[in-house]
Amino acid sequence: MEGTSRRDLLRIAAGVVAAVPAVAQQAAETATAPAPLFFTPVEFQMVDELTEIIIPADAHSPGARAAKVATYLDKSLAEAFEAEPRQKFREGLKLVDKLSGELHKKTFLDSTPKQRVAVVAQMARNEKKPKKPEEQFFVQLKASTAFAYYTSSIGIHQEMEYKGNTMQNEYAGFDAGLVPIQLPDSPK
Amino acid sequence: MQSPSAPGPQVDLKIVYDAIVVGSGAAGGMAAHVLTSQGMKVLLLEAGKQLDTTKELKSMEWPYDHPRRGEMPPGYHPLGLNEYNIRNPPYAKDSKYPHVESYVQGWNGPDYSKNIVVDEKDHPYTGTKYAWVRARCVGGKTNIWGRLALRLSDYDFKAKSRDGYGEDWPISYADIAPYYDKVDQYLGVSGHKENLPYLPDSLFQRPNKLTASELKLRTELAKMGRVVTPYRAGVTTDGLKHNKYRSKCFGRGACDRRVGGCDIHAAFDSPTGLIRPAMDTGNLTLRPNSTVYEVTVDPNTGKARGVNFIDTESGKTYEARARVVILGASTLESARLMMLSKSSQHPNGIGNSSNHVGHNFCEHIMGPGINGLVKDLVGKPRTLDDGRPGSFYLARFRNLSDKQSNFIRGYGFEGSSGTTMIPGNAFETLGFGSSYKKAVRDYAGAYISMGAFGEVLPRYENGVSIDGNVKDKWGVPVLKFNYTFGDNEKKMAADMAVTAREMFEASGIEVVSVNREILTEGWSIHELGTARMGNDPKTSVLNQFQQSHDVPNLLVVDGSSHVNASCQNPTWTIMALCWRSSDHIADELRKGNV
Repeated sequence: MEGTSRRDLLRIAAGVVAAVPAVAQQAAETATAPAPLFFTPVEFQMVDELTEIIIPADAHSPGARAAKVATYLDKSLAEAFEAEPRQKFREGLKLVDKLSGELHKKTFLDSTPKQRVAVVAQMARNEKKPKKPEEQFFVQLKASTAFAYYTSSIGIHQEMEYKGNTMQNEYAGFDAGLVPIQLPDSPK
Repeated sequence: MQSPSAPGPQVDLKIVYDAIVVGSGAAGGMAAHVLTSQGMKVLLLEAGKQLDTTKELKSMEWPYDHPRRGEMPPGYHPLGLNEYNIRNPPYAKDSKYPHVESYVQGWNGPDYSKNIVVDEKDHPYTGTKYAWVRARCVGGKTNIWGRLALRLSDYDFKAKSRDGYGEDWPISYADIAPYYDKVDQYLGVSGHKENLPYLPDSLFQRPNKLTASELKLRTELAKMGRVVTPYRAGVTTDGLKHNKYRSKCFGRGACDRRVGGCDIHAAFDSPTGLIRPAMDTGNLTLRPNSTVYEVTVDPNTGKARGVNFIDTESGKTYEARARVVILGASTLESARLMMLSKSSQHPNGIGNSSNHVGHNFCEHIMGPGINGLVKDLVGKPRTLDDGRPGSFYLARFRNLSDKQSNFIRGYGFEGSSGTTMIPGNAFETLGFGSSYKKAVRDYAGAYISMGAFGEVLPRYENGVSIDGNVKDKWGVPVLKFNYTFGDNEKKMAADMAVTAREMFEASGIEVVSVNREILTEGWSIHELGTARMGNDPKTSVLNQFQQSHDVPNLLVVDGSSHVNASCQNPTWTIMALCWRSSDHIADELRKGNV
């Protein structure tokens, strides 16, 4: 069995967004405009905007907003076993507003779209080795966003155009026999 | 297909069965199959529960149709690499989480296997660091195994004769080859014939194919005398006419997601491959929730009389009796059971007059590996690369005709490439916005990665013993590990990282990252060797038919019997050996010799 870094990263992402109660999900689906379960309405709007900046709609496919990434994160945090992820996320959002104030003298949501992107760019500056709290929040937010987006229907079918999870009678790819192995000095 | 969960005959503990089999995974399932097919009455005791696999396995479920995208519910915690590295077992002790499970539950889709692996809280162990993955349910780890189905060769069975280390097995390839054939034909294995003396071919069904990157690697490495072959999967790709519980593989692509196993059972699992057909003979009685804690002994003869077990639901204890007791509880659990079975005839534990039970513990070392990029594939139209039951295997190449100066034995690589349902590079690509999104999309199918599995040498001092101070949920004393990688393993691991780079570079694959770190002991989930076979009762526990030297009506048919670990995955060898031994003991039973 393998234990690759890719899996570990998926795990990290998944751990950040730790879950949704089935009951809560049903409730969310039946309501027309469901109130967030954990985020305040303003926080929800911020997360919706931040995740869309991280994975935006483009000519190829819709982005994080259409994929309801914020809704997924809200449900996950609401249900998380520990309080810590909730606190950390809330603190992270406060850091976003603080940074926005420093850069543009406005809250994140009061800023122009360009200014908002500038705030995210500032947070993303040391993605490889994040040091400041807002840089660490970015890494966490991005991993959660990527997990929620690339496991969504939009992410899988429209963005990645995934063709699998379907019955096929023959495997795709190349026959190994195309390259016969001849080992002249094969050991006894 | 029929549900594998149907009940067997009523358990009657008054009768003396022909055989009691402990454990229902690859080994126990195989013993049950072979013996019942020859008319023997078998009682199969499984410590775990009988899962309703139709509820557990949902191979086709989309992540977004699962309320947590495949993640476990709140309160379930998978152990992470860091936890294994900075702490000592028992890992779940004092954990704030109600449920703690092993690291495999941190992989994709763990919600589907959370009832298959054990809760570490109920099953503690102590001693040195070890990532011990256990599955307690009917079928054991075969429900979620990695499916790489390889044969060993005389490079393994006669390794001592080649390099002087350890012991040779009491069998050679010629002895086991006919049983490998039987396993291939009964269970189905997919692969491409290569004629390699050190990685013998099976009787293959339809092979997997290779992606463009894998074909490139195969082409270039062939020039170096190294072989990349399609993943040899213990998966029936053409179907099995004799087994109505298993379908052929339809390349649906869920294998890498491991959504609790394969819901059409194209991938081998013991419940559909072995146990259900054994039940259809009318000769098998299966009792789940039955944790055996002692092999009982006839005070007059010193032979095994049966087993004592605890009903894990009621807490009541029972004895079951048989002419032969066959342990297939897994390498470490079988050793634990033998050491727990002390009597006046066997004061050191049953079958342990040699003092070798629990010793010579070996496995595969993991960690070093590589991730690379095939630039030609960037931005190419999407292909379906994960419809295969596995990607590729790179066969051992060290210490065959060459002789390495600083380590003995060898290692192989398991690898993968191409597109997957959830793009792994989304978590590695830097940046954000449309450039990030496009990079994930364009590069997703262009990566190729592989990780090594190396032979850990058996050493007497590496082992497990009973910790009398700690008990599991049912009051059974637990195992204490005294096991670490040695110098040979560490030098071999350093070589893995060097050759991984060398091979990618030679193949024109851009190296993205090389991992040199060794993963915690146990990571491979290939524990072996704690009750090894041998010709000398002083230095081995079992004879060539996996019969105890001390107690002829006690067999140990799981990986604990292996004399060394080879670098090739053990499951197919466990089953071939078990078939051979079960044939032998059936013969002995008929002759009245046991």
